Amino acid sequence: MSEVVLRGVTAGYGGEEVLSEVDLTVREGTTTAVLGGSGSGKTTLLRVIAGFLPPRSGTVAVGGSPVVGPGTWVPPERRGVAYVRQDGALFPHLSVAGNIAFGLPRPRRRHRERVLELLDLVDLPASMADRRPDQLSGGQQQRVALARALAPGPALVLLDEPFSSLDATLRAATREATARALKGAGATAILVTHDQEEALSIADEVAILAAGRFRQVGRPEVVYREPVDTGVATFLGDTVLLPGTAAHGQVECRLGRLPVSGPQPGGLVEVMIRPEQISLTAATAGALDATVGRVTYFGHDALVELVLADPAGVSPLRARVMGPQAPAPGDRVGVSVQGPVRTFPDRRTNPPVATVSG
Amino acid sequence: MQASSRAPGGVLLLATAVAALTVLPLLGVVANALSAGTQLAADYLFRPRVGELLGNTALLVGATVPATVVVGAIAAWLVERTDLPGAGVWRGLLLAPLAVPAFVSAYAWVTVAPELTGFTGAALVTSMAYFPFVFLPAAALLRALDGGDEEAARSLGLSPAAAVMRTVLPRLRPALSGGALLVTLHLLAEYGVLEMMRFQTFTTAIMQRYAVGFSDASGSLLASVLLGLCLLALVAEVLARGRRRVAQVGAGAPRRPAPARLGAWTAPALAFLTALVSASLLVPIVTVIRWLVAAPSGAGPVGAHLAQVTISTLGLALLGAAAATTAALPGAWLLARHHSARTLLLERATYLASALPGVVVGLALVTLSVRWARPMYQTVGLIVVAYAILFLPRAMVSLRAGLAASRPELAEAARSLGLGGGATFRRVVLPLIGPSVLTGMVLVALAVGTELTATLLLAPTGTDTLALAFWREASELDYAAAAPYAAVMVALSAPLTILLRRQIVEVP
Amino acid sequence: MTRTHRLRTAALIAPALGLALTACSAGSAPPQETFQAQPGVLQIYSSQHRNVTEAWASGFTARTGIRTQVREGQDSSMGQMIVAEGEASPADVFLTENSPAMTVVERAGLLAPVAATTHGQLSEGLAPSSGLWTPIAARSTVLVYNPAQISADELPSSIMDLASPEWAGRWGGAPGGADFQAIVAGMLAERGESETAAWLKALADNAEVYQNNIATMNAVNAGQVPIGIMYHYYWYRDQAGTKEGSANTALHYFGGQDPGAFVSLSAGGVLASSDMSAEAQQFLAYITSPEGQRILVESGSMEYAVGAGVESDPALPPLAGLYAPVVDPSALNSETVVSLMTDAGIL
Repeated sequence: MSEVVLRGVTAGYGGEEVLSEVDLTVREGTTTAVLGGSGSGKTTLLRVIAGFLPPRSGTVAVGGSPVVGPGTWVPPERRGVAYVRQDGALFPHLSVAGNIAFGLPRPRRRHRERVLELLDLVDLPASMADRRPDQLSGGQQQRVALARALAPGPALVLLDEPFSSLDATLRAATREATARALKGAGATAILVTHDQEEALSIADEVAILAAGRFRQVGRPEVVYREPVDTGVATFLGDTVLLPGTAAHGQVECRLGRLPVSGPQPGGLVEVMIRPEQISLTAATAGALDATVGRVTYFGHDALVELVLADPAGVSPLRARVMGPQAPAPGDRVGVSVQGPVRTFPDRRTNPPVATVSG
Repeated sequence: MQASSRAPGGVLLLATAVAALTVLPLLGVVANALSAGTQLAADYLFRPRVGELLGNTALLVGATVPATVVVGAIAAWLVERTDLPGAGVWRGLLLAPLAVPAFVSAYAWVTVAPELTGFTGAALVTSMAYFPFVFLPAAALLRALDGGDEEAARSLGLSPAAAVMRTVLPRLRPALSGGALLVTLHLLAEYGVLEMMRFQTFTTAIMQRYAVGFSDASGSLLASVLLGLCLLALVAEVLARGRRRVAQVGAGAPRRPAPARLGAWTAPALAFLTALVSASLLVPIVTVIRWLVAAPSGAGPVGAHLAQVTISTLGLALLGAAAATTAALPGAWLLARHHSARTLLLERATYLASALPGVVVGLALVTLSVRWARPMYQTVGLIVVAYAILFLPRAMVSLRAGLAASRPELAEAARSLGLGGGATFRRVVLPLIGPSVLTGMVLVALAVGTELTATLLLAPTGTDTLALAFWREASELDYAAAAPYAAVMVALSAPLTILLRRQIVEVP
Repeated sequence: MTRTHRLRTAALIAPALGLALTACSAGSAPPQETFQAQPGVLQIYSSQHRNVTEAWASGFTARTGIRTQVREGQDSSMGQMIVAEGEASPADVFLTENSPAMTVVERAGLLAPVAATTHGQLSEGLAPSSGLWTPIAARSTVLVYNPAQISADELPSSIMDLASPEWAGRWGGAPGGADFQAIVAGMLAERGESETAAWLKALADNAEVYQNNIATMNAVNAGQVPIGIMYHYYWYRDQAGTKEGSANTALHYFGGQDPGAFVSLSAGGVLASSDMSAEAQQFLAYITSPEGQRILVESGSMEYAVGAGVESDPALPPLAGLYAPVVDPSALNSETVVSLMTDAGIL
């Protein structure tokens, strides 16, 4: 498994440009999730790396050797880049074992051990080896596709929205099995998805792709807690936004004087708070009292809508509380913010470059 | 997102060349027809005799096509949507007439009921021979249709019969119109049956003209009219097919509807199907066997010649199949992988080619080769070209199905697993296309093996085929001598039934 | 695709493939699978009956050692084909069933004069005036009738009578064939265009059309129609065989030099462009020689021999006694016949 480096890659179809000057580095043995909405260029990115779409400019290097660049073009079959599609693309005329062993050189194709090893890696029983692809469920097909991709020991594995065609119950289990298999094989992988939960849970790094460019690349917790702008912030999860004024390492806003983490623009700012940072206390007669509106109960947690006595420019105030602590609608509670918040330059005076759509 | 790569130039060129070849007979015939001048052409065409031929053709089409549509649709309904006993057996029996060449059927009927000639005989024999062309697509469609529409209609208050009328019948339209088109084209191209039944239409007149005038303008004039009729049929079918959507709207797995109960209608239904199978299948087969058994001694020389002729027929059939498949390959590949406005033109040309009768292609190639390509004249190469032109559409259908099965994503997956172009083709594309290609080749080979008119015109002297030998003996009314050739033709065509049955039963 | 599916497809194709492969490798491929004129071999284009032509060819080879290659075809189309092939035609010898096909080639100027000695072997008065071809066999027009449906005295006295309305629907023939067209050509030469055209019109309106002479005879035999016009030898052949097609029929010869007694000559000619003209002339000489004519008689085709002193099959009435009309074969014009038939709506 090897490191993958993209520099200045621009690519598109016909007259369109889909990717503009993208840079990306994926370290050896790690999984990077490329997160973006439809039309953001995720699949294009994978096709460029795999070799099915020549870029207009830029370089791609796998394991230190360039595969695409000025004067360089390595055809797909010689790149050592495995590509797992959304629909698995298993060969219907071969058995599961035949599919998995497909990329192996001829003498090794006969060896069952490698096939069984890989089936084990993707958490499938050995009895599956002689079944036909059309006899498998969607999740099983995806795992076989992954096993097939891993069998020849590729330098890089590309996964194109591998779980989106599975129904919810299968998705989580398949995701976990995939993450384990990739780790178990020490694979370098790029996984492309539009599902933020998926990206955050299995990746070592998350790269947000919007309108052909990377907005932010970093560890999941960093990207989540310290988004580079409100667009990325709202893409990754629920937010509570309100205006505020910066003041010496803190920000003054409707919910009080709060500590700030990350860059601190001066003057008028927009404050971003995650619902899980808002905790509910007993009601006190004060400015931070609120009435509970709708409560959406999820079992393990609940999303509580709150109405302040004087809302004043606060976007819908929502708090995420643990299940047992969920209040009832109409209760009066006190609101307090835990942990530092993020601030961004005010959008009215500094409109953002582009929005990230989900 | 799919990379819209441009179609490779070489393939495009090949496909265009093939399309041009299929249109060539059309041009050749029309050019020859007008070679004597437009005045002469007009004089020749506007005669009572041509009117008589047109009238006969219209009469035959007007009687046979509705008959086959009605019979085929009812049979398909009975087999696929009711609780008819022995449906599986009936399905095979109702397809089997396709394995019996129509002229063999005519030969049988002429010996069984000699009074049945002229229009009645022609209409009867052709209806019995061609109703499977309607039965096959109708049965395939009815089998694949789910009951959702009907149930919805029932829950809206329609009676069972009305529900069928208003939900199933409209969906059946493309199958019925497609089948009707096939029947019409076969009728327009039919020679053997009509000659035996002494019912004059354009094909018999063209062959007659060829016998006296070789390849003069008058034969081509008649051929041009025939071509016009064929094209008219094509246009009519497009209009009749309708533009309404037939595919299922909305998600959800298709469910087979419950079979309708025949009850008291079981006996009449069985009687109807028995009569149908007897007339279309039993009469020809039993008659051929009867003549085989009644044959006087002379089995020695007949046997040797029979073996010779069978082998040369098979040789020609395989050559024709290979030629048609190879010719269809560039076009099918383009249509499957790089479908665009340009390739649509190719599709149209192929569609046109499917309407060419054997007699027109034969006459055109004779005319063209005598005038412009003398070395090719009266060679096996020329007749194989004729077969390729005639049966290209059939090969194309199978190839396209195979290419659809062999999706480009699979080839990409193979390449990303480290296989180069050649290995990908060998291990992924070929195994997936292979079965369809083979099926296509078998279908073409069987069609070539029973082809009569183009073979009569183009076969190099000294080349004998089963159809030619049969025709020779039958023309001299030597029914016993004709029987062995008929028997071999039917026996060799039997696998056709199995192949076609699969098209109904194994839904893609 | 599943394995059973594959096995089944293979099972269907394997026998066919196997047979075809044997075909390719089999040494016993049919002779002349592709027709290619072999140099040094006499090319015979023949529309005469196959068994007669082959008997003549093998007899000739046995006697002279010259090898032959026969190409079969139909009368008129083969004649037209030779004309279309022109100077480049590989044909050395052309044999026809009826003479009009030969006169087409004659008029195109493609024939070489036949050696006088060949003509000398013929019975008197048969050779054409132009001397560009030779008769090789003869056949007579006859009326075949079903005695159960019509008695001998009710029969028409002349073939021209069949044009009158009383015979409507009661007679049949095969006008699409070269045989019948030769009969009409004789009629044309004897009676002229207007009478022939009128007769043809009546045929188109009132007569039953059959595929060929055998079909005509069978129809009369089966009682579908009481009278048919055809050539004599079909009847005699059937009578010598199973009698299936003629058991209920009898023949009537018109005689009296009526057009209905027309005797058509089968013709043989040498192509001027032939590169083996000496051998070709030898061939014609052979088939008109007593030996060649005996081969014709013994072949069972029941045609009349044209060689001097050669007796035709004993079952046949002598040719001289048929009182055929005297027609110069070179005057027979099949093209006019075709255009008359076209105008009448038959073709």
